[in-house]
Amino acid sequence: MSRSLKQVAVLLVALLCLDPHSRVSSAPICTHGPSGCHVPSLADLFDRVIQHSARMHSLSNDLHSEFEQYFLPSKNSIGKIYRKCHTSSILTPNGKENAQKLAREELTEVILKLLMAWRDPLFQLHQSMAHQQDFNSFSSNKALEMGDMAHELRKGVEKVAEKMRVLGMLGNSVTGLSAAETMLPISDSGEAMSNYELLYCFRRDSNKVQNYLKILKCRIVPEHDC
Amino acid sequence: MRNSGAVLILSFIAKLISQAAGVSAPGKPRLTSCRSPEKETFTCWWEPGDDGGLPTTYALYYHLENSETIYECPDYRTAGDNSCFFNKNDTSLWVNYNITVVATNALGKNISDPVEVDVAYIVQPNTPENVTAVVVDEDQGPFVRVSWEKPRTADTRSGWITLQYQLRVKQKKDKEWEEYDAGMQKYYNVFSLHPDKEFMVQVRCKPDHGFWSEWTQTTYVKMPDYIPRERSLWIMITIFSVFIVLILTWTLNVKRNSVKLCLLPPVPGPKIKGFDKQLLKSGKSEEVFNSLVIQGFPPTIDYDDLLVEYLEVYDNEEQELVLDSKDLSEDCMKSKSPSDCDSGRGSCDSRTLLLEKCMVGREGSRSDQHQYSQHGETSWASTESSECQGLEPGSPEFSDGRVKTWPVVFSSPQPHHHYQVEAVKPVYHSVPEILNHSSPHAMPANYQNLQHQDIPQQEGRFGKPACRHSQSYTHGLDTPAPGVSPSRSLEYVEVQRINPENMLLLRPLSDQNREPEGSDYAGEDYSKVKELTSNNILLLQRDTSYQCADGYSQAGQCTTQQPPHPCKPVIYQSHSGMPQEGMRVMGNGYVDTTVLMPSY
Repeated sequence: MSRSLKQVAVLLVALLCLDPHSRVSSAPICTHGPSGCHVPSLADLFDRVIQHSARMHSLSNDLHSEFEQYFLPSKNSIGKIYRKCHTSSILTPNGKENAQKLAREELTEVILKLLMAWRDPLFQLHQSMAHQQDFNSFSSNKALEMGDMAHELRKGVEKVAEKMRVLGMLGNSVTGLSAAETMLPISDSGEAMSNYELLYCFRRDSNKVQNYLKILKCRIVPEHDC
Repeated sequence: MRNSGAVLILSFIAKLISQAAGVSAPGKPRLTSCRSPEKETFTCWWEPGDDGGLPTTYALYYHLENSETIYECPDYRTAGDNSCFFNKNDTSLWVNYNITVVATNALGKNISDPVEVDVAYIVQPNTPENVTAVVVDEDQGPFVRVSWEKPRTADTRSGWITLQYQLRVKQKKDKEWEEYDAGMQKYYNVFSLHPDKEFMVQVRCKPDHGFWSEWTQTTYVKMPDYIPRERSLWIMITIFSVFIVLILTWTLNVKRNSVKLCLLPPVPGPKIKGFDKQLLKSGKSEEVFNSLVIQGFPPTIDYDDLLVEYLEVYDNEEQELVLDSKDLSEDCMKSKSPSDCDSGRGSCDSRTLLLEKCMVGREGSRSDQHQYSQHGETSWASTESSECQGLEPGSPEFSDGRVKTWPVVFSSPQPHHHYQVEAVKPVYHSVPEILNHSSPHAMPANYQNLQHQDIPQQEGRFGKPACRHSQSYTHGLDTPAPGVSPSRSLEYVEVQRINPENMLLLRPLSDQNREPEGSDYAGEDYSKVKELTSNNILLLQRDTSYQCADGYSQAGQCTTQQPPHPCKPVIYQSHSGMPQEGMRVMGNGYVDTTVLMPSY
């Protein structure tokens, strides 16, 4: 009995090997749109990304106001921010027209640059907040979450860009960021920025990212909510 | 040097003059708010300070963050007075503006506090436009559909701004608004509005990070008059109630009887013993009423029932005479000795047959007390000397000066003096007689009071006088009281009744204990009190004949008087020192004071 089984197995294997067409190759899971599994459309992707950026921004807003409330009682004091944000070297459109003048690729690139620039500083921020006694665990958790969110957002935007490229909406000028693009949050004077300054800068940059994504979306997929 | 000095002096004088004239440098202006309606332009307003009485000009200066270049406000007019309008070219987002206002007049200038502004965070859109509210009629009922448009200036199309809307509704008379969040859509359906009422509707909007706009102008909408047809609900309610009614009816039906009982409790019919309704119906009233007559009513008083008392008499070492009778009731109450009444040897509060009066404050006669225990001779006087006069023969021991219940019970043979039975035949009213069978010589200690002679030869006839009537004792010390040998067993004598002659009829309680000893106890059951003499002597009458034992000293009356009447008066006398007050029973009998009261 076992002998016959063995023989059958050998035969099958031989058949498979012999068949030139039956090669195992990786195939995408959802190759066909509606017939297969549900493939998220670009609009869906955009929506997800925008929601993610909105959450990230609200987190940064909360942390910033917490900081202001507990550590900087005097509002509107002169000399609140002396130092530039480290991302100020990145050219970002500061108005609607400027943003609309930018091409999609550039806009996407700006977004990605911003997000990339914040990867390490956010990690540092979380570290320093966790070490300080002043913050409660809730705040340092928020910082950690913020860092994760920025990372995820970047990945998401990269996926969107990829999708756009696939769909032919984007030219190939959008390239991945080189390692040289990563910047360290070092101010002009060379000192590391304080936590408050980091939060202030990140709040602003997350707002920028959210705004740019919305513009991009309404430019590319203007069906709803635009 | 001189010039500067002159200038100083001049300025000083000018100041003085100006102050005298009421003019001065302007007060400090204050920036109140900066707002951007569409995130492309913004306006700042300030509040002028005191102008110092002179025409003052205001100027707004700003510089961007990390830049030292100071610019002046480009437009002072577009936004009205005391405002500065920044157009698109001058507006940069995500950049801090450092703004100050300077007030200048002829006498000086004043600079406001600087304000940092980031335009991205000061967005307050205009109000939504074209708010319309229409009533839409549907199957479930009419509702109101409110729709509006975005503010004209806000550019949501390019995604530069995202607005979310909010509306509120109320009736005219209501105080509170009902608020609804509409999200980013530009319409909203309001349900559950009251019919035939007018409602006010307002809408406002807000950017995702910014301030709420103002509410729009009120839009009015009137709901039509309709009856809410919630059919399904009513159907369900009807079915449910019908179901419940059915269940109730069925339950009531099942429990018909108990319900009837509950609601209409039966009226109790007349219940008269011996009353025959049928007779009444038949109309023979005489018979009916005759049947109501109860034979033997009113009940004759049977004093036996009323005056039953049981003396618990027992003997103790001290030969206390314990009387569980009421004689001591008064005594006890009046006596000052503490422990007697609660000695447990008898109830003190019962009215005994033996009437006595407590002599309050007869302490003096205490000296008369003798040890009854010893001799038993002590006269009654001594007993009387105690507060509670007592009674009896077998007198209570007055060691403490009170009458104690004298133990009639002879529980153990005691080397006490025997009483001469013949002489003294105490009649114990309600005195249980405990006969000591053990030895005929067992002398009841109780009787010792009566006599101090041992009568060894006495047969145990104590406690039960041959003549069962109250005997008269002479308490004389020398009176050899006849030892009364207790006969056999306990016997209780009780007062049976009081006959019309105010006589106390006594009878022993238990006849069965009586040994047929012949003439001694021949039929003598009770004795009744005949009369009360003036010296408070209770005369007990003997109803039946008896045989007198020999040896009665003064009890020889029994023999002498026997013939004339069947009753033998027994006289209790206290010879010595017997107080005249009250009534004392000198013998063994107890007279219930309550019974004898009328005789006084």
